[in-house]
Amino acid sequence: MRLPDSQLAVLEAASATEATAVDRLADTTDLKPESVTRAAFDLRDDGLVTITERTETTADLTDEAHDYLADGLPEIRLYRAAIDAGADDEAVELGQLIGAAGLEGPEVDIALANFARKGYGQIDSGSVTADLDADPDSDPEADALATLADGGSVDDADLLDQLERRDLLVQHEHTVREITLTDDAVDALMAGIETAETIDRLTPEMLTSGEWEDVEFSKYNVEADAPEIEGGRKHILRQTADRAKDVLVGMGFQEMDGPHADADFWINDCLFMPQDHPARTHWDRFALDVPPIQDLPDQLVDRVESAHREGVGDDGDGYHSPWDRDFAEAVALRGHTTSLSMRYLSGFAGADIEPPQRYFSVEKVYRNDTLDPTHLLEFFQIEGWVLAEDLSVRDLMGTFEEFYAQFGITDIKFKPHYNPYTEPSFELFGTHPTTGEIVEIGNSGLFRPEVLEPLGIEADVMAWGLALERLLMLMYGFEDIRDVHGTLCDLELLRETEVLQ
Amino acid sequence: MPVVDVDPDELRELTGHDEKSDDELKDDLFNLGLEFEGETDEGELQLEFAPDRLDRLSVEGVARSLRYQYGDDTGVYVPDTNDPDWTYEVEDTVPEGRPYVTGAIVRDVNMTEDVLESLIQLQEKLHATMGRKRAKAAIGIHDLTMLKGSGLGDDDSGHSITYRGIDPDGDRFVPLDADSEMTPAEVLTDHPIGDKFGDLLDGFDRYPAIYDDLGLFSFPPVINGRRTEVEAESRDLLIELTGTDQWTIDHICNIICYALSARGGTIEEVEIDYPTATGPYEDVGGELVRPDFGIDTKHVAHDRIETILGVDFEQREVVDLFARAGLSASVVDDADDVDAVADVGDVDDGADATDGVVYAVEIPPYRVDVLHPIDLIDDLGRAYGFNELEPRYPDIGTVGGRHDRTRLEDATRASLVGLGFEDLLNFHMISAEANYDRLNIEPGATIDDTDRRLVGAGEAVEITGPYSEDYTQLRTWVLPSLLMVLENNTHRAYPQDLAEIGLAAEVDESENTNVAERRSISAVLARNDATYEDAKARLAALCDDFGVNLETPPTDHPTFIDGRVADVVIDGQTVGVIGEVHPAVLVEHDLELPVAAFEFRLDALQ
Repeated sequence: MRLPDSQLAVLEAASATEATAVDRLADTTDLKPESVTRAAFDLRDDGLVTITERTETTADLTDEAHDYLADGLPEIRLYRAAIDAGADDEAVELGQLIGAAGLEGPEVDIALANFARKGYGQIDSGSVTADLDADPDSDPEADALATLADGGSVDDADLLDQLERRDLLVQHEHTVREITLTDDAVDALMAGIETAETIDRLTPEMLTSGEWEDVEFSKYNVEADAPEIEGGRKHILRQTADRAKDVLVGMGFQEMDGPHADADFWINDCLFMPQDHPARTHWDRFALDVPPIQDLPDQLVDRVESAHREGVGDDGDGYHSPWDRDFAEAVALRGHTTSLSMRYLSGFAGADIEPPQRYFSVEKVYRNDTLDPTHLLEFFQIEGWVLAEDLSVRDLMGTFEEFYAQFGITDIKFKPHYNPYTEPSFELFGTHPTTGEIVEIGNSGLFRPEVLEPLGIEADVMAWGLALERLLMLMYGFEDIRDVHGTLCDLELLRETEVLQ
Repeated sequence: MPVVDVDPDELRELTGHDEKSDDELKDDLFNLGLEFEGETDEGELQLEFAPDRLDRLSVEGVARSLRYQYGDDTGVYVPDTNDPDWTYEVEDTVPEGRPYVTGAIVRDVNMTEDVLESLIQLQEKLHATMGRKRAKAAIGIHDLTMLKGSGLGDDDSGHSITYRGIDPDGDRFVPLDADSEMTPAEVLTDHPIGDKFGDLLDGFDRYPAIYDDLGLFSFPPVINGRRTEVEAESRDLLIELTGTDQWTIDHICNIICYALSARGGTIEEVEIDYPTATGPYEDVGGELVRPDFGIDTKHVAHDRIETILGVDFEQREVVDLFARAGLSASVVDDADDVDAVADVGDVDDGADATDGVVYAVEIPPYRVDVLHPIDLIDDLGRAYGFNELEPRYPDIGTVGGRHDRTRLEDATRASLVGLGFEDLLNFHMISAEANYDRLNIEPGATIDDTDRRLVGAGEAVEITGPYSEDYTQLRTWVLPSLLMVLENNTHRAYPQDLAEIGLAAEVDESENTNVAERRSISAVLARNDATYEDAKARLAALCDDFGVNLETPPTDHPTFIDGRVADVVIDGQTVGVIGEVHPAVLVEHDLELPVAAFEFRLDALQ
């Protein structure tokens, strides 16, 4: 017969005449108790041992019990103080005894309750008389505590229950397994048992030589924790962006691409933003220290300037604001990706602009906001537009309801709003899927004729924009966007955040 | 967006709706687009709104809009005006930077502390918005009884004030909130208000000043004199505005006149007498009568209303909705001849009666936001209630798709993630120190003995007048960002294998925008045993994924350890660098373990 090392060791340590507990076998064999148990079960399955199980109760002393082991039980301290004060003769005021007995706080009540229960004397209206016949030196509760503290056992179940009620100990039940050899095992031992080789790793040589057939694999603790590893993963904001892109492509939108550093012409002038608009001042934009763009399309520039100065159409009025080509040619970081929409709608980006068209981008924009948990200097804007004949406000509402529904945001509210480049314009509000809060989720509208006519667009265009970070924060409940985006990011947070499904 | 404080009791009084509770008012205001933000200590409602309806910057304007909404008022209202008695003489000495003036006289205003407070708030809000912080328009309101204008006529009728330019130290007056006389130049240096608005007069040889017979009483755009200060007892007011655009100051004047008219004031015209009808005055004319309560008319096609709102209307509904928006609409008889306007009562609301119908819509003189008929359709939509509209998904067939550039970026990112890199996302703006110095390179540096620019050493695109020393330029490469992430995460578990595909840029005058933008791939392996070989293995695997040929000839780069750095050459083009990061750079970033890294242009994988 061949058996693995551990099983053979257990077999040799166990007895056929006396049941041996697992712990003792572990001591004898120098194996871990769980290894002994595992080996024992395997041996039982082979009919070589029997296992009996019984439940054993052990008692663990509480901190309070340990305190009393040092100081004495409160009732005994009270009794000794009472005797010292002559309370066996006549009643003594309790107040005098408390200090002498060294009782503090709840110990007073504990002392009084047990003093009376154990017959150490009487307490009547705050006066204590002690019974001289009582024997605190052989108090069963104190003795039991001392025994348990020394590692001994106490069999009196009532006494243990009483001590547990006093919160002096906690009783635990656990299973004790004892092993006895069967006759087969004795026979086998007499006949001699060889050790089967157990091996750690399967090697290529074992597979080619066929040696694997004769070996026993050592068993792993398959429940043990493995070392932590971090797989690569896409950034959570990228995942959110990709999700938005998937939704938009699915809705028939083509992706736009274009420069981050661009002429103010594309960023603002085409959008009918007056040049003295507060958002175009030094404090809101990131102007770049490079020469101005020289090759703007002249005819388009003239038409845009005319829209700013004179308006468009028979009844149109322009802005009563200065307009300067130099400002239009200056290069800045784009404050919105609507600059891409303008390049595409103008045909400058080379795209086909016959209606119908749908276009989008999910790209970075730059605004000189104050940095705080919800505002960054750079963030991603989801931008989309639809070009078609006779678009209505209802089409706009229907498109955005569909888009946001893909992210679980329903019940969109449209609040009439003002933008220089769209009319009608709406701020979009939605209900947070988990908190139920009403939050602003975007800005939208139909591009004004002053935007479209200079671009040569005769159909209608509806457009909207939304900060991707806002969508992310809504979906994940992040409180500080700086933990996620930028060099202050916390790798732990990025590693722990659940992937987007 | 502007926030205006409005006393709910005044709102009830001015609208004539005592029965409205505060909550009802808030709901009604929200429907106007005025959002309740909170209450002041005095219990006034703080209302936020988009900066288009500047005629609603005071309780009087808000009340007027509510009365239209409630249907108490309909159509355009123009207050009566009396003929001018006062003339604003303009001398040719006025500074070129502030040539225009306008104004009005308002008599018998029911002034109280509350009315005065509201007037001051309106003035401030108009300065902040349409007045572009007083650069474009500055408002002065004065107690008329404190002014003395020479009688121009024989019967002592006809008074005048004079707008002129003076030497900065050319005269003295007592400004508001001061006890002693100061020259305009002294106001700019010694008075708190002067400190705030002095910039507006930068480069002015002569300062704007307005005089009556008694002397200088207003120093626009900075401060009024104390002599003519308006108080709760003032009844008759003189309004003057100066600015850089006649239309703008005229319309601000209209908004103020309408607000004071709502407080019982009677508007009296003034004459503006410019020194000439040429130069800056060519378009406005030499002599004007103000305020100008002329009604503008724009034409709106019925079809356009229906296509924009996606709803069918009858003519009567349209006319009614315009009236509730404070506009007056009538149907143009012959749409080809927009001068002929029909009485709306004659219109037949038959099935096809709206085909080709055009409305002439009159716009009151306090509206500054109507540039095009589309704005009137928006007003009509608000009066109808946009939230009454049923959303519909447009039946338009288009084909969706990704841009080639982002598809390549995504495929590369997927490969990097598959190789075990954590994908990162950093800012494109950075400081020169983080971009160059801390990586041990100098801008413009080249590889020894060649004219080849070091990876990362391109000329940075700098931000003009940066606001933060951490963000002064665009990054010229991505590696500095990754090292900063490592620096900020030394307390987190290693290995930290990070990669980013992101924007890097440098000045390049051959580009349309003078900025060369590219996507750059950077990766770092930060671990106890990181070596050049680890980085190269991953770079080679990435190149394999894209079927491109990789070579790594030795090179020099001070960010990396000498002898452990190579050019990344893909399909024969040098596109980046790979190596073990130099200990000096690691220590600079507080890193206590080796880092191997590479960086190259994304388009090399195309």
